[in-house]
Amino acid sequence: MDAALLSQYVVNGLMQGMMYALVAVGFTLFFGVLNVIQFSHGDVLMVGSFVGYSAIMGVIAVGIDNPYIALAAALIAAVTLVGLLGAVIARLFVLPLRSSPPLNTLLITLMLGTVLRESVRLFFPHGSHPKRFPPLLPTDSIAIGGFDLRVDSVMLLIAGLLVIVAIHLVINRTRLGLAIRAVAQDEETAMTMGINFRFVVLVTFVIGSAVAAFAGIMNGLYYNEINFNSGLLLGVIGFAAAIVGGLGSIYGAILGGFLFAALQTVGAVAMPFDSAYKDVFAFTVVIALMAWRPTGLIAERVSERV
Amino acid sequence: MGDKTLDIENVYTAYDKADVLEGVSLSVRPGRITCLLGSNGVGKTTLIRSILGLTAPREGRITFGGRDITGMSTHRVIATGIACIPEGRKVFPKLTVTENLRIGAYQVKAEAAIRERMNEAYEIFPRLAERRSQLAGTLSGGEQAMLSIGRGLMSSPDLLLIDEPSLGLSPLFVKENFNVIQRINERGVTVFLVEQNVRQTLAISHYGYVLGKGRVVAEGEPDTLTDNEEVNQAYFG
Ligand SMILES: Nc1ncnc2c1ncn2[C@@H]1O[C@H](COP(=O)(O)OP(=O)(O)OP(=O)(O)O)[C@@H](O)[C@H]1O
Ligand SMILES: [Mg+2]
Repeated sequence: MDAALLSQYVVNGLMQGMMYALVAVGFTLFFGVLNVIQFSHGDVLMVGSFVGYSAIMGVIAVGIDNPYIALAAALIAAVTLVGLLGAVIARLFVLPLRSSPPLNTLLITLMLGTVLRESVRLFFPHGSHPKRFPPLLPTDSIAIGGFDLRVDSVMLLIAGLLVIVAIHLVINRTRLGLAIRAVAQDEETAMTMGINFRFVVLVTFVIGSAVAAFAGIMNGLYYNEINFNSGLLLGVIGFAAAIVGGLGSIYGAILGGFLFAALQTVGAVAMPFDSAYKDVFAFTVVIALMAWRPTGLIAERVSERV
Repeated sequence: MGDKTLDIENVYTAYDKADVLEGVSLSVRPGRITCLLGSNGVGKTTLIRSILGLTAPREGRITFGGRDITGMSTHRVIATGIACIPEGRKVFPKLTVTENLRIGAYQVKAEAAIRERMNEAYEIFPRLAERRSQLAGTLSGGEQAMLSIGRGLMSSPDLLLIDEPSLGLSPLFVKENFNVIQRINERGVTVFLVEQNVRQTLAISHYGYVLGKGRVVAEGEPDTLTDNEEVNQAYFG
């Protein structure tokens, strides 16, 4: 394989890994604070990409042709509206089901995902057709020792990395992050310490969903296309990545995301004759990993003994 | 400092259907150590949970400093100046010692006050200072007990609810624990102490109640309770 092709595989793998990691972080955060699976999370991402797309179309429609203004509009609109959507989902569908079996939450959010998906298909103008997401970032390439790197790819990867660092800082360095970690470990004791449990849950859903919206825009910018049903597979992969990494562990989720993308890349390299095989390969390995390490790759470091 | 009375009036609390508390009334007077004795499963922890709003009473009234706190959200109850050292310590195993203390001061906004109290906690328990950046889950049982007490003091509460602090500790630690509780009270914190360890509890308390099955069955000054043969026979064997 020549260097150009290899670099393409690597960049593509990193990009997908970044998106999976960002989706998986949401699953793991939600599971952390509430022990629930928010199964419509992938569709929330898709809504983010459509909100971003609409914002870009809006900016273009009023005659502004600066791509960075369009990008900023897309990001602000997607992150705020989808963050709000996350809070609404938590408030209406997740918190009220707290005393019922977790399976109910999984089921209700699974159905909610279908509602989001079908709503975009039915009510978005020509929603059933893929939409062309305009390339807003510079598409020229820079050559680094035999590799040709596209500037937009590098920018997206750096932006994704910054989001991961930001999540890390919020969780580990802020009062809110401390509250999120406390609630994840022991919700009643967290309340006993004076933490407003419902507020922490809502904010966690805002953060996780806003990150998914960011990933949705990343997805649009990278593939230059968005689709009403693109969230489904991304959701399943993000969920699988979170499980493989150890549900509840943020670093596990990130690791799981990149691992899944690496597996897909290996699958694609080994079986270049049909791209569908890469998913079959990646999911097969994930299933094997789950059977081998049922609690995830990042094991609990301390016992939960009281 | 503690100048508010906690009044519990005719409280009934149930988990599902059956009442665990069946009309409990008692008063925790400011500045004192009031204890609640009673054997396994009579509802002592349930009473603490009722005060904190973790399991809201289905009937009755709980007031603190004249303010009705019955069934309030737990974080609001804490905001009235109440803190709790829960049964089984309940330190956060995957937070460091420092983070555990910090969370005890979650509603305190002033960073200076938080630091000052943290230093105080480390002065009372030098063992914790040595382990400040260790995860709480790696501490010994005795150290976790110290951490739980330190965490309970971080909000500088008017009233401290303490649920069976000596449970699972070695006799030496138990003795030290009672000393610490007494010192906390001497600094002006009102204490409501739930215990099964009758003699040592009464030795430091100003007033005591005995809980039978969901009801207060005896109350009085410590010496009257110690001498109360009936109580001894019935509840402490
Ligand atoms: N979360 C709960 N759900 C249902 N029932 C409970 C719950 N917690 C306690 N109970 C029941 O309520 C009764 C009183 O329990 P509680 O924990 O208040 O007793 P306690 O006096 O604190 O006992 P101990 O000395 O063992 O701590 C027990 O019969 C117990 O089984
Ligand atoms: Mg108890």
